[in-house]
Amino acid sequence: MNEIIIAILRSGTPLIYVTLAGVIAQRAGVWNLGLEGLMIIGACATIVGIMLTNSILAAILIAVFICVLASVLLWFVIDRLKANPIIAGLGLTGLGVGGTALAVQSIFGSQASVTAPFGLPKLGPAFGAYGVLSISVAAMPFVVFGMWVLLRRTRFGLRLAACGEHPFAARSVGANPSRMRLVALSIGGVLCAIGGAELAAGSLQFFAQGMTAGRGFMAFAAVIFGASHPVGATFAALFFAVVGALGIRAQLMFGDKIPHDLLQALPYLATVFGVWLSGKLRGGAKAASSFAELKDQ
Amino acid sequence: MSNPPKPALECRDVTVKFGDVTALSDVAVSFAPGQIHAVVGQNGAGKTTFARVAAGLVQPTAGAVDVMGEEIRTGHVNQSRAAGVELVHQSFALPPSFTVAETMEFGATGKGGVYSRRGLSEKWRSHLASLDVQVDLNTRIRDLPIETQQGIEIARALVMDARVLILDEPTAVLSPTGIDMLFARVRRLKERGVTVILILHKIREVLGIADTVTVLRGGRKVEGPLPIAEVSAERLANLIVGDAIAKTLDRHERDALVGTKSPVGEGAGHPETAHGPSVLSMKSVSTRPDSEGTALDGVDLDIRPGEIVGIAGVEGNGQKTLVRAISALADLASGSIRLAGHDVTGEPLGARRAIGLRIIPFERNVEGLSLTSSLWQNWSARELLQGSLLRVIRPATVREACDRSLREWSVHYHNSAQKAGSLSGGNAQKVILAREVDRGARLIIAAQPTRGLDIGATAFVWQALRQARDRGVAILLISSDLDELFDISDRVVVMLSGRVNGEFRAPFDIASVGAAMTDAAARKSA
Repeated sequence: MNEIIIAILRSGTPLIYVTLAGVIAQRAGVWNLGLEGLMIIGACATIVGIMLTNSILAAILIAVFICVLASVLLWFVIDRLKANPIIAGLGLTGLGVGGTALAVQSIFGSQASVTAPFGLPKLGPAFGAYGVLSISVAAMPFVVFGMWVLLRRTRFGLRLAACGEHPFAARSVGANPSRMRLVALSIGGVLCAIGGAELAAGSLQFFAQGMTAGRGFMAFAAVIFGASHPVGATFAALFFAVVGALGIRAQLMFGDKIPHDLLQALPYLATVFGVWLSGKLRGGAKAASSFAELKDQ
Repeated sequence: MSNPPKPALECRDVTVKFGDVTALSDVAVSFAPGQIHAVVGQNGAGKTTFARVAAGLVQPTAGAVDVMGEEIRTGHVNQSRAAGVELVHQSFALPPSFTVAETMEFGATGKGGVYSRRGLSEKWRSHLASLDVQVDLNTRIRDLPIETQQGIEIARALVMDARVLILDEPTAVLSPTGIDMLFARVRRLKERGVTVILILHKIREVLGIADTVTVLRGGRKVEGPLPIAEVSAERLANLIVGDAIAKTLDRHERDALVGTKSPVGEGAGHPETAHGPSVLSMKSVSTRPDSEGTALDGVDLDIRPGEIVGIAGVEGNGQKTLVRAISALADLASGSIRLAGHDVTGEPLGARRAIGLRIIPFERNVEGLSLTSSLWQNWSARELLQGSLLRVIRPATVREACDRSLREWSVHYHNSAQKAGSLSGGNAQKVILAREVDRGARLIIAAQPTRGLDIGATAFVWQALRQARDRGVAILLISSDLDELFDISDRVVVMLSGRVNGEFRAPFDIASVGAAMTDAAARKSA
C-alpha cells in the first residue's frame, strides 16, 4: 500500500504544481497552454543547474528565473502584442520542448539525456518508508493550501478572478487587468519551475528530451476538470496520478493479458474522461476573455 | 445662480478623442455639492464618455477634472476613487460568478488580509442594509434579478466614502416601479450628503428627480447646469434634439424620442388595419431550460398582418428566448408555432425564412452582421442562403443589386466592398433593414432595433417598421423603451418570467403596463 501511495505522490506532485500554475493563469483569464513548455524548461534548468553549479539551491533558483522569464515572454506576446493566447501558449510549449533538447545537446554534446550527481533533498529515514520522497512533495499540501487562501480568501484573489471574468469590472475598481495577468503568469512560472524540478530531480536525477510527455497538458486538463479551483484542480491532478499508478500496477499484474500500450494510455484516457465529465457537469469550459478586454460597451 | 464655495465635480474644457472620432469637445461644466444633477442627451451625445472621464476610466485628450476644488490626475481609476468619485455602469460591471459579499469586498480598498466567508458576510451586511438592499450575501450575481443587481452595483460603488456618485443611464433597464425605487434611493443618498449625477435620456425622469440639468449634444455641452425650475419640458426637448433635426420630426415622434411626459401613450392609432388570419400563431409554447436565458412558459401569441405587436418587460424575462423560439434556435418542450398558416414547429430556420420570417436581431454587430465581411456579402446573405448551396454566384450582379438596395435605404457608404464593421451604428442597422425588410417578408422580428442609435437613425427605423406594417407585414417589436413601444405598437404584450403577463391596447397606460412588468418581481423579493 505504501508503495502505491509513494508512486502516486511521486507522479502526482509535479503535476499538482503545474496544475496550480494553470489555475492561477486561468483565473486571471489566460488559457495557459504553455504549461508543458514551462514544466520541461523547469526540469531541464534544474538538472543543468545542478551540473553547472553543483548546488541544488542555485539550480532551483536558475530554474525559477528561467521559467518566470518564459512566462513574462508569454505575457508580453499575449498582452502587449495581442496574440491569441492559445497559439502563444502552444508556441511556448514548442519553444520549451525544442529549446531544452537543443540546450542539452549544445551543452553536453549529442546526448538524449543528462544524469545529475544528486537531486532534491529527501525527507530522510525519520519518515520511514516515505523518507524516499523529496521535500517538495512534503511542501506540496502547504503550497496548495497557500494558493487556496491567496485565490479564494483574499481581495487579491477576488481582483484576479474579476480580471479573468469581467476585465471591465476589475478596471472599474482600479485594478489593472494587464498587470494582474503578469503577476499570475509569473507566479505560475515559479510553480512550473518547482514542478519541473520535482519531475527531474525529485525521485529521478536526470533530464531526458521530451520527458514531460504531455504532463503539462494533463495539468491543463486538471485545471478545467477542477473548475479552476485550486483544491478542485489539485484533486483532479491527483486523480490522474492515481489512474497512472494503477496503470503501472495493472501492467505488473496483467501485463501478459492486456496490451501494454493500453495500460500506458490510461492516464491520458482518464484525462479525456475528466474533461468530458467536467463539460457534462458544467456545460463546457468558459471562453477565454483575456484578449477580449471589453472595449467600451 | 448662487455662488457655492467649491463644486463637487468640475470638468474644465475636457476633450476626448478616440482615433478620428471626437467623443467630447471642450466640455466645461461644474456641479454644486449635495444636489442631484441630471446629464441628458441622445445616444452619441457623449454622456457615457463624460462619466468615464470623471471616473478615471477614460483618459481625456485635453482638459482637467477637479473634485471638491482639487485637481485629480485623469485617467486613473484609483485617483478618482480616492477623491470620492464612483461610477455605476449602465450594464453593470459585476463579475457574474461572484457572491454579493465578494462583490463588495473586491471593490473595497484599505485593510484587506485573509477573510472567511462568514466574516465577509458580517462585514458587508450592515453596509447593504443601510442602503436598503435586501439580499442574501451568499447569492451569486448571475442569480439575481436585474433590479437587485443595480442595487448591488450602487452598494459596490459606495463601499468607500463616495462623495460624487455618477449613475450612467440607470433607468434604461428598469420597469417604471423599479425607477421609482431607484429615485427614492437616490434621494436618500442626497440626504446623506452625496452629490449624485444621473445620466438620463428621458425628460420626464429628469423633471421628476433632478435639481439641475445639463444637456449634451454631439459631444458638446449645449446648456447647463440649469436649475430645474427654470426649464420647461418643451425647451429641454428642443435642446436635446437640436433645432435642425427637431424640424424634420413630427411632434409625436420627438416626444417619444425624448420621453417628454406621456404617462399615456396614444399608440399607433390604427388598430383596425389588422385583419385576416394570423401571420404568427404561437399556442402554449414552452421551451426547454438552457443557459441562454429564461425559458418560455406557455406563451400564446398571435400577430395579424399589418399589426405591430410590442413586447414589454424588464430585460431577462424571456424576450430573447421568444425570439430564439420563433427562429428555431431554442428547443420547444411543448406547444406549436404556425407561420402564415404553415405549421413550422419542427421546421428549421431556413424553412421559416423561406415562408417570410425576417429578423432584426438583438446584437446588430454579432448576430446581425459579419463585421469583417463586405457590405454586399452581408446584404446578399438572405437570398443566397435560401437557394441551393451549389448555385453559381456572380458577385458583379449581386453587388449591383446591393448598391441599388442600399441607396434605396439611404445608407451612407463608400462602396459595397467595404467591411460592415466600418459603418456607424445607424448605417449598419440600415444595412440590416435593407436585407430583412424585403418584399418576401411576412413577419419581421425587430429586437431592440433602435438601441444605441441616434435620433435620426431611430426615427428612420420607426418609419421603416411603420411602412412595412402598412404593407401588411406583421411586426414583433421587442424593446425595453416604453416610449418607443407605446409610440409605434398597435398592441403591447408584457412578458414576465417567461410568461405573457398582460396584454394592452392603445391608449396605453404606463402605470398598468409597468405593474404587469413587475408584479411577480415584487412577490419574489418579498
